[in-house]
Amino acid sequence: MRNPIGWAALTAFSLAFFAFIYAPLFIIIGYSFNSNPVNMMIWESFTFDWYTGLLGLSDRITDTGNRAAYIESTDLMLAALRNSLIIAVFTTTISTLIGTATAIALARYRFSGRGFYNGFMMVPMMMPDIVLGIGLLIFFVTIGMNLSMLTIIIGHCTFLTSYVFIIVQARMAGLDPALEEASADLGASEWTTLRKVLLPQLAPGIMGGALLAFVISMDDLVITYFVSGTGDTTLPVFIFGMIRRGVKPEINAIATLIILASVVIAALGLWLRSRKID
Amino acid sequence: MAVKRQTWALGLLLAPVTLFLGVFFLLPLTIIAVFSFLTPGLYGGVEWDFYHWNYSRIFGWADGIIEIFEPIYLQILFRSLSFAALTVILTLILCYPVAFWVSRLSERWRLVFLFLITLPFFSSLIVRLYAWLLILKPTGVLNTVLMSLGIISEPLEILYTPAAVVLGMVYVMVPFMFLPLFAAVDNLDSAQTEASLDLGANRFQTFVKVMLPQTLPGIMGGAVIVFIPSVGNFIVPDVLGGAKGLMIGNLVEQQFLSSRNWPFGSALSMIIMAVVLTVLMVSVTRARKAGGHA
Repeated sequence: MRNPIGWAALTAFSLAFFAFIYAPLFIIIGYSFNSNPVNMMIWESFTFDWYTGLLGLSDRITDTGNRAAYIESTDLMLAALRNSLIIAVFTTTISTLIGTATAIALARYRFSGRGFYNGFMMVPMMMPDIVLGIGLLIFFVTIGMNLSMLTIIIGHCTFLTSYVFIIVQARMAGLDPALEEASADLGASEWTTLRKVLLPQLAPGIMGGALLAFVISMDDLVITYFVSGTGDTTLPVFIFGMIRRGVKPEINAIATLIILASVVIAALGLWLRSRKID
Repeated sequence: MAVKRQTWALGLLLAPVTLFLGVFFLLPLTIIAVFSFLTPGLYGGVEWDFYHWNYSRIFGWADGIIEIFEPIYLQILFRSLSFAALTVILTLILCYPVAFWVSRLSERWRLVFLFLITLPFFSSLIVRLYAWLLILKPTGVLNTVLMSLGIISEPLEILYTPAAVVLGMVYVMVPFMFLPLFAAVDNLDSAQTEASLDLGANRFQTFVKVMLPQTLPGIMGGAVIVFIPSVGNFIVPDVLGGAKGLMIGNLVEQQFLSSRNWPFGSALSMIIMAVVLTVLMVSVTRARKAGGHA
């Protein structure tokens, strides 16, 4: 049935496809250990300088000799990383709470606006991020709200609530409502049923949604770019700015660390999903 | 249902999302719509007077002068649409064979390759784009390799061209096309393809007449998911494109962060929204129709 030559060609094409996806990432990783700061394509020697440089520990100065400026940019980067983490934690918490509550309401209650809510929850996901970003920018400026970490958190929550909703709703669809009915029949209050019966069953979905929200919040560039003030910046916006100013070897080191972190998080996500099947 | 559902509990569950998205999602979008019809202020900001020139400008008339037709913004809009369409077509051509290949692997290898395709979802967009900056620049990976192999003698100038923008968008969007396609290809009824081949259809005919119609919902889904973020994209053209790669998203960004013409920027965003809504409506109607026939 199967044509061996055709299959071999298909295999070659597919492996080339995966090489296309991964080669750029390996190039960054390779570059991050090359001590040649001028032409990174020419291998000089192996170095950890760019990594220690990120922590402000290195004496090696890539820009023309301004050590003070260099250390300052390192501080800015670490501050951006810290901001990203704070924003992601708050965003994840808020969007997970709102998204889960909405998913429960739409799955367990029958009411007239239900169809509208179900459709409406898709809209923030489909809205181009640039439109949402400038909409929020005009809104915050018009009502006189200063751009800060708070406005970034609000911006992230507007679309991440929808992501959490979708994932929790999918989990909800697989649950048996009979368990909750039994709980109610046995005299548990609505609150107790929610806490002791529904939430434990929903937990993997909620965890999955929260993980996704965290990852997207950490990576968001467009919305953050528009609603961040002059002071507070996040890691992706900081890297975007660095790239706009020109390529420096420190970017390779931080990019490599981000790639490693994403591998860890993706593996964690896979592990969560495999637990869900049990 | 046996569980007694309280109205106040429903209210409590729905209040947060209603308030939050009402204030921070619907209101901002309404403000964009209103601003797009207002007069730009002299030093940024707006004046509350009705003004239709924001849209007239996009459709080719220079401010206040009806005789002069300058379709520069239409050109940029058209370019954005064609870049996004090209991205859809290229990701489709790349992903279809690979999705088919992965769906025919043993259970274990399927999981491995599905993990490999989802991994980019978790890694940073800006880092992945930055990699292409390293590859495409004149002293970058591509030129160094090609020149040392003697294939070219002068460095190719790919960076800051439209080709670089489309390449970058294809790279970023590939996982979004792959997953819906994979779901469709994986559900293919192999008995039908075998029947088609047994009855004398060749491979091409079988693909066009049997496989393509069955996987069409996946293709449409992937196309919509790739097209929408591509058409309003401003990060990819900003990092990899030059003046000739400028897209409508870059125009919007300029209006807000450098030109400070908010009403014009709002009108441009309304155009992006209109394009996206049209695409969504067409795809939903098509999907309904297809569902009705099945």
